Amino acid sequence: MIELTINGRKLQARKGMTILDVARENNIYIPHLCWDRRLKPYGGCRLCLVEVEGQRKLMASCSSPAENGMVVHTDTPALRKARKTVLELLLVHHPLDCPICDKAGECSLQDLAYKYGPSQSRFYGERKHDPEATSPLIDRNPNRCILCGRCVRVCWEHQGVGAINLIGRGFKTKVSPAFEETLDCEFCGQCIDACPVGALGAKPYKYRARAWFLESRDSICPYCAVGCTLTLDVREGRILRVRGVDGKGVNRGDLCGKGRFGFDFIYGDSRLTSPLIRTDGELKEVSWEEALHYVAGRLKAIKEEHGPDAIGAIGSPRTTLEDNYMLARFMREAVGTDNLDTSARLGYAWVLKGVEETYGIRLNPVRLDSPVGKDAVLVIESDITSTHPIFGLKFLEAKLNGSRLLVVEPRKTKLARHASAWLRIRPGTSTAFLNGLVRYALAGGVHLKKEITTEGLEELQESVKDYTPQRVSEMTGIAEDDFTEAAREFITAESRLLAMTVSAAENQKGIETVRAAANLLMLLGEGPEALQIPADYSNTYGAWLMGVRPLGKGRDLYGMLYSPGAVRALYVMGEDPLVTMPDADRIEEALKGLDLLIVQDIRMSETAKLADVILPAASWAEKEGTFMNAEGLPQPVPKVVAATGDSIADWMILRNLARLMGHDLGSMDLETLQDEISGLPPETGTQRWRFAPSDWRLKEGPDAEYPVVLVTGNIMQHSGALSVMSKSLSHVLSDAFVQISPEDAAKFGVEDGGFIRIVSRRDSVFIKARVSDEIPEGMLFVPVHFAHARVNALTFASPDGTAHLTAVRLEPKA
Amino acid sequence: MERFLLKNIDSPDSAGIGEYLRTGGYASLKKAFGMEPADIIAEVKAAGLRGRGGAGFPTGMKWDFASRDPKFPKYLICNADEGEPGTFKDRPILEKNPHLLIEGMVISAYALKSERGYIYLRGEYPHARAVLDKAIAEAYEAGFLGGDVAGSGFRFDLSVHQGAGAYICGEETALIDSIEGRRGQPRIKPPFPVNVGAWGKPTVVNNVETLANIPLIVSMGAGRYSEIGNPECPGPKLFSVSCCVERPGVYELPMGIPLREIIYEHAGGVRGGRELKAVIPGGISTPVLTPDVLDCPMDFVNLPKRGSMLGSGAVMVFDDTVCLVRVCWRAMRFFEHESCGKCTPCREGTGWMRNILERMEGGFGRDGDIELLQDIARSIMGKTFCPLGDGAAGVVLGFLRNFSDEFMYHITNKKCLAESG
Repeated sequence: MIELTINGRKLQARKGMTILDVARENNIYIPHLCWDRRLKPYGGCRLCLVEVEGQRKLMASCSSPAENGMVVHTDTPALRKARKTVLELLLVHHPLDCPICDKAGECSLQDLAYKYGPSQSRFYGERKHDPEATSPLIDRNPNRCILCGRCVRVCWEHQGVGAINLIGRGFKTKVSPAFEETLDCEFCGQCIDACPVGALGAKPYKYRARAWFLESRDSICPYCAVGCTLTLDVREGRILRVRGVDGKGVNRGDLCGKGRFGFDFIYGDSRLTSPLIRTDGELKEVSWEEALHYVAGRLKAIKEEHGPDAIGAIGSPRTTLEDNYMLARFMREAVGTDNLDTSARLGYAWVLKGVEETYGIRLNPVRLDSPVGKDAVLVIESDITSTHPIFGLKFLEAKLNGSRLLVVEPRKTKLARHASAWLRIRPGTSTAFLNGLVRYALAGGVHLKKEITTEGLEELQESVKDYTPQRVSEMTGIAEDDFTEAAREFITAESRLLAMTVSAAENQKGIETVRAAANLLMLLGEGPEALQIPADYSNTYGAWLMGVRPLGKGRDLYGMLYSPGAVRALYVMGEDPLVTMPDADRIEEALKGLDLLIVQDIRMSETAKLADVILPAASWAEKEGTFMNAEGLPQPVPKVVAATGDSIADWMILRNLARLMGHDLGSMDLETLQDEISGLPPETGTQRWRFAPSDWRLKEGPDAEYPVVLVTGNIMQHSGALSVMSKSLSHVLSDAFVQISPEDAAKFGVEDGGFIRIVSRRDSVFIKARVSDEIPEGMLFVPVHFAHARVNALTFASPDGTAHLTAVRLEPKA
Repeated sequence: MERFLLKNIDSPDSAGIGEYLRTGGYASLKKAFGMEPADIIAEVKAAGLRGRGGAGFPTGMKWDFASRDPKFPKYLICNADEGEPGTFKDRPILEKNPHLLIEGMVISAYALKSERGYIYLRGEYPHARAVLDKAIAEAYEAGFLGGDVAGSGFRFDLSVHQGAGAYICGEETALIDSIEGRRGQPRIKPPFPVNVGAWGKPTVVNNVETLANIPLIVSMGAGRYSEIGNPECPGPKLFSVSCCVERPGVYELPMGIPLREIIYEHAGGVRGGRELKAVIPGGISTPVLTPDVLDCPMDFVNLPKRGSMLGSGAVMVFDDTVCLVRVCWRAMRFFEHESCGKCTPCREGTGWMRNILERMEGGFGRDGDIELLQDIARSIMGKTFCPLGDGAAGVVLGFLRNFSDEFMYHITNKKCLAESG
């Protein structure tokens, strides 16, 4: 423990703290412009200078370690003079265009100039006249820049991107992308929040409002399962921008591009404003009464004629706990069926099944900060920085703090670029890799610390006996030496973590991957907390907990969507299976064969276009509710703006419908609903470890006719089918594309930017090609977000949970 | 005095390994391999060698810090980024006696248990580059570099990394950034490079002249070495004398020699027999002095007592025809151009000082400009990230302390005192 005195107060500090850290912890104010909690000290602005008794010079508190016996003064005439001069120098050529600067009112330079008094204007200098540099979402005004370097450092040190740097020297220094080109980055916008002045701004917010007219409300991000806290700035009933506020929420102020810019999906053109019923093939606007009476009547009729099990429902990983809970009650009580599921069936359900088979527990929430401090972190075929960007940052942070980051990944993802070791694996073969690790550990290649008491060891040994390093190398394409090196590192590490994502949008991993990972960890004596597989969307985890899945003998997603004729009516809430789920042709056939398709959504989705009845739902910011993130943390989502058109909250629609069906679910308001939910019994199970042998085989490997494998996934700027509604995110990327390696491009005669036809065993699509060295030979990567490309017509669903990697062939210039 | 560092440079082949060996080169290296690394460090400490780059930090102590750090590998970097106006003392070593530097680096590396060395060479020294490359190739050929240095089993690899023309890269942490391939900007200290340097590993950065002294210490022994010059900071010192003298050039003289001797005996006195007006004793970033310091011994101990510093030992002599406002302005143009842009006072302040000096020099000075200059300089002094800002502020404060009348004259009469006199 270090003891020091600041401004006469005796304070305690821990080793490694700077003077500024100690001051902040004790609410002692020291001004600063270039300091940022997340970044290494920089010491550039020189505002945080303090006086330390016995030191000849003033010391920069942000970069001076607190030492025992120090006597520090943070506010003396000399310091005030020094700070005032620094501000004076900064202001000399600052444009002082505060009247038209969006930062005015929340600008650190403005606030500090106000605090330290007016500049004496002893200098008169030329203002800078650099042109403004613009990009799809981020505006840069170099004239306002004070060169604190926070944007540059947050981009590189924290985000691991490095899209901008300081160029030039001295007075002529400026922040710019390489060669002063247009900014082309992942558009997380972290630089905007880091900027203390108005040099960086969110383009969609430009000239929209003065800061002091904004009303701020905190909410939870509607995109992925990290559950970041967004600060929504609202003016006159409209959300104008989203900010991250330092230290707030599970994200502690970090945001990705989706969270920061994607909020405007609620203002998308395709929003539904009134209920619609299809009459004579045309969708017609009707009143709520008419729509609900119609739905209730049709459902009752189908139930009477064919029984309740002729009706099914699909819930949503993006609506609230309350909505999903109400859907479950509606289906079980008002309709009387267990035919109920969500898209988790295609991804997260396999994770939970795998975890239950091995560790014996029913749920395995992740911990977002789990990678930090682990000796070895193994990431299996997952682009976590795209699917769960803020969780992804923790992997970079772990690496920065000394963890060995082992990335097993075919694509040159951000994590692969930052890896301690990047093992470029053949797509879809990570199960073989993991089985190889299990065999390597069992074969005594390394000393296992604990005695293995877990059940099923013999079967496990038997099941992996063929996965010798040589065989694994043949299967995965990873050099044998690289494999054994990685195996040794992971197995002998003092502490370790294995992370991946499993989602409906991805097709290269399945339940065997989860089993193999769990086997490996159990063998090394690691509990389920070492296995970090986050749920995919904002409420995937919650929807699962609310029972939106068959609890008895009901039909699951495969039984409803991929078995044409199995049900006669389908109630789809907040989901667009035609876009988000594999094998679109089969789904379309199933949907078209229904007697009644009810789609309840915020917008006219592809699935809604086939519906008999469409019910408009209020969106994320237009209703109150709760999201449960991948940590299992329920977080309130407030109503911030008025609902669009006649839309109302999903749970209200279902409650009202239940009444018309003659099954009053109780006179429910949100409060009683939430009480009921919090009274639900916890679902955990107790740990009972058992090895579950994992078999690796590709259902559809590449062959002579279909020589290339197609991998699907999410990209950095989009999330499922929701984000394409956002004008801002679409501004960055709105067109479908397929990434192809330069080798394959040459082999198949594909040009960058040219269109190609991709043919699988099911269907073919016509799509733009992007030649990219991020992709290895023999692989295509295609984002799943864009409905118009219909790439999910190529893929297939795999009811046994194996990876549904798709083999395709290419027909350029068809 | 006997020349040690520049021994033999008058020979046309002085840069070649043949000539170097013929005159006893690489003998110290062989002697060093007979010693324990720790003993060499102790010897350097005992010799009292202080860094010749400008700060005068005791070299033995620096080595001691680095060798105590348990991390490996360790790096040895020779700072040959000689970029300050007035300073050209390392150039004869680099161009005429490169094997002395290489020998010094190998011995130092052996003492520090470093296997990798770099010579960070100023971008504007193309000739030195060619000479060094050739000398390094010769040393590899002769077995003084590489996997088994002189049959000792010690490994040392050395290469030249040429800068891109930034003065700030002479600052050791900025230099390390530059070697790592980053934008050269100083890093926060602590941690110091001896613990966390290049690629996070212990790194010793020494000036060319410092390293060239090492073979000398090894061959002479600390005892005899410390008899050269001032016993408080002994050794030979290279002085680069420039501006208004009859014979500008580099002179190797014992540390502590009076300034008068350098100017009047070695450099041939003030040009044309004119009157001496001002002297900058250690390169442009050291404060200017008046002729009454002529008897001050030139070393790390005595110059600070007279309000300046030895710096790199670059003596700049100004006679009564020189306008000191102009000198100050030109100096500030240099600092403004070379300020890296990282910290506010230096980035903005050097520009403003240049601006004010420029208007003074141009005859547009205003009342209060001197006070304003002093105020900015004091706001920079001690408040910048690295010593570059201190240097810039020190120059202005030095000129204003000793020659404020010239500045006043410029403001009131709109012209030079020197030119009108």
